Amino acid sequence: MAVYVGRRIVAAIPVVLGLSVLAFLIIHLVPGDPVQQMLGAHATPKTVAEVSHRLGLDRPLLAQYLRFVSDAFRGDFGRSITMNQPVTTLIGQRAVATFWLLGYGVVVALLVSVPLALWSAVRRDRIEDQLIRLFTTAAFGMPTFWLGLVLALLFGLRLRWLPVGGYTSAFPELLRSLTLPAVTLGLSLTAILIRTLRSSLLETLSSEYVEAARARGLPERRIVLRYGLRNSLGAMVTVVAVNLGFLIGGTVVIETVFQIPGLGSLLVESTLRRDYTLVTALTFISGTAVVFMSLAADLVYAMLDPRVRLG
Amino acid sequence: MMPGSDRWDASDPWARRRYSRREVLKGAAVAGTGLSLAAVLAACGGQGTGTQTPSISLSPGFTTARPKKGGSLVYARRAATETLDPLQNRTGNGDIFAAELVYTALVRPDPKGSSDLVPGLADRWTVSPDGKAYTFHIRDNARFSNGDRVTAEDVQFSLDRFGDPKLNAIYGVLAVGYEGTEIVDESTVVVHLTQPVSAFLYNISILPAFIVPKRLVEQQGEKFFDRPVGTGPFVVTEWLSGSSITFGRNPYYWESGKPYLDEVRYEFITDDNARMLALQSGRAQAVDGVPFSQIESLKNDSSVYLQFTEVPYFQGLWLNNEKPEFADLNVRKALQYAIDKQTINDTVYAGVGTIPNSVLPHLRYDAPPSEVPPYPFDLSKAKQLMAESSFPNGFDTTLQYPAGFGYYRQLVLILQAQWKEIGINVRLIEQDQGTTSQRFYQLDYDMTFPYAQFTSDVVVPDEYIAFVADPKSGTNGFFSGWHDPAIWSMVQEFLGADEGTRKVLWPKIQKAMMEQTPFINIMNLPFVQAYSSNVRNPYINALGANRLEDTWLA
Repeated sequence: MAVYVGRRIVAAIPVVLGLSVLAFLIIHLVPGDPVQQMLGAHATPKTVAEVSHRLGLDRPLLAQYLRFVSDAFRGDFGRSITMNQPVTTLIGQRAVATFWLLGYGVVVALLVSVPLALWSAVRRDRIEDQLIRLFTTAAFGMPTFWLGLVLALLFGLRLRWLPVGGYTSAFPELLRSLTLPAVTLGLSLTAILIRTLRSSLLETLSSEYVEAARARGLPERRIVLRYGLRNSLGAMVTVVAVNLGFLIGGTVVIETVFQIPGLGSLLVESTLRRDYTLVTALTFISGTAVVFMSLAADLVYAMLDPRVRLG
Repeated sequence: MMPGSDRWDASDPWARRRYSRREVLKGAAVAGTGLSLAAVLAACGGQGTGTQTPSISLSPGFTTARPKKGGSLVYARRAATETLDPLQNRTGNGDIFAAELVYTALVRPDPKGSSDLVPGLADRWTVSPDGKAYTFHIRDNARFSNGDRVTAEDVQFSLDRFGDPKLNAIYGVLAVGYEGTEIVDESTVVVHLTQPVSAFLYNISILPAFIVPKRLVEQQGEKFFDRPVGTGPFVVTEWLSGSSITFGRNPYYWESGKPYLDEVRYEFITDDNARMLALQSGRAQAVDGVPFSQIESLKNDSSVYLQFTEVPYFQGLWLNNEKPEFADLNVRKALQYAIDKQTINDTVYAGVGTIPNSVLPHLRYDAPPSEVPPYPFDLSKAKQLMAESSFPNGFDTTLQYPAGFGYYRQLVLILQAQWKEIGINVRLIEQDQGTTSQRFYQLDYDMTFPYAQFTSDVVVPDEYIAFVADPKSGTNGFFSGWHDPAIWSMVQEFLGADEGTRKVLWPKIQKAMMEQTPFINIMNLPFVQAYSSNVRNPYINALGANRLEDTWLA
């Protein structure tokens, strides 16, 4: 097991390094200049050059990149160009809302997916299964910005059950304000979860040891929950972890639609303003988070299933 | 201004101002409250261009009834507030309109919407005969929100910041001619200029010249602006970056009895649909940036009302005059004649725009359409001009525009179709705002809409016309590559002239610019706000800022 863990961690290092190059280059190569964005049309080229110099933006790209990597290694991501605050402070302020949204979203996704997938697998090819599969297709096709607005329109404006947007950091109002965004985020994940879990369940339920269990007269409920669900959970862990990137991408849209001051909306704002340091840090940190989550998922999976680590 | 003779006095601030259409209509509304919004809109469309006084159209929320004190107003706003340092600006109006609540300048734009200036922290001032020295008297009851008196030292400190090009990098152009501020006594200062600057009072009436307390800014440095102490009607009580900013009443505000609201909260809601939802669900009582596509449906909603404010806001289409196609005056004029602006107004802007008779936004001193007519829609004239141009067979070109604004796509498709009629084939390039404006600054475009929202910082033409016409401004004809020495000499005279002469000179410049059309003003647009029906007197000044000092909740 130790060898396996070590090998996986070593494999992650070049990925993270490559990520740092990408995160840095993506925003620097896009046209648009933070100083010009900040100063607007009023600024003469001379002023723009002065401010760029003050911010160190006129140095060669490679020098700027090396500075970014060495600082990032020490946990320092510099100061935001446009907000004039340490990037870590800004990210710290905004991370809380995003964590709650992600966590809540995953819980919603699991609460919806697990029962539906079970039902769908048990009722394979019956009308219930068809309806659930129709639902997953629809959920998969719905863009989150649209779904979010429709939910806000229905539950916020028509029924007035929940706020149409905004964020409150104190309980229990926190859960109320995050319910619609979390449902939007969760539903976007259910399609993948239900399909994965359903096929994994079907595979397990048609395997020989399950046939054997049935032959011994074990009740079906026990077979599905004990044998089926348990054996499929490993796949679920991986799917959720691998889709973390997808979920983080979802927060970008959802936080904007529901006005949640999180990392996603921060990324949108900083990209529009070409805040190099902030965009680079946000891209790098969320990318690294995805790498480490899938690493962690591999390790958990390896713990659950010896075949993985020995194979 | 008439040098030497110009004197403003707080006891009679209204003496010199013209009565705007809105003022007249206000009387009508008090007489009969049945005035419908449709009527207001009709009036707005018919008279917009040409009135020298930008003014707001009357909405049911305006009243002379006795204001009720108290209550809290949530204002859903498109742009977030990210800095309250008057010399910084990160989010345009998101920062400006929050700073407007917190600070005051020596003079200020008429809060009720005309293009005149009225006293601010200075209750009176005089101008020297040579137009190079302004003496300001600070009003006796001018206090910061911590109770400290506003002193001549504070004014000197603030104006020196304004005049320092290192500190005032963004609005440095407004500090043209600033030499220094001399303290006469505790409440009197003299501002010295190196040359007469006709727009000087306008230049110090906005953001970068807001008065800040010297002692606190020196002590606290940048931290000061997190919880600034100013002289505006409100003070910041809570500020959640990227989410909201909350203001409480400033107990030391110099206009007695105001403001009426206990609390104002700006909630930052970028998404148009979400912002409108906030108003309709009752979470917000005011909302800015109403999308043109939603105006019709809001008109039918009796729980809210709309407000259209005429501000220097326009749909500016820039032409790259360094390209041979657009260096050809016949081509530029053909482009103008080929645009059916009425159709664009009806289909894209819900009819709330005004067909422009200037290539710049609507500004003070603009002549009415009867004097300087707009370009009419005239296809045969456009075709004839194309035939006379160096490109009789037309040409292929591109048009860049910012992504993320629904109405742009409609607009560019209509333009594309209309110009095809005269042989100009336009390829559309949609890209994000940052890319679009960057390529604009580098003159890396054929035609472009450089900004989603294009507004002037001041209501007088001085700022924009200097950008465009001054060959030494460093902005290369406002990034159009266009230069015209004859117009520049007219502009130079205008920039230093007294008020009476300026009124005569400007229409000539306006007309010459219209004739040259280095770029195209597709439409003059209003700011569109919407309010819950219980919001009263949400006055907006001629720059679109809503200071909420007169606003109350019924």
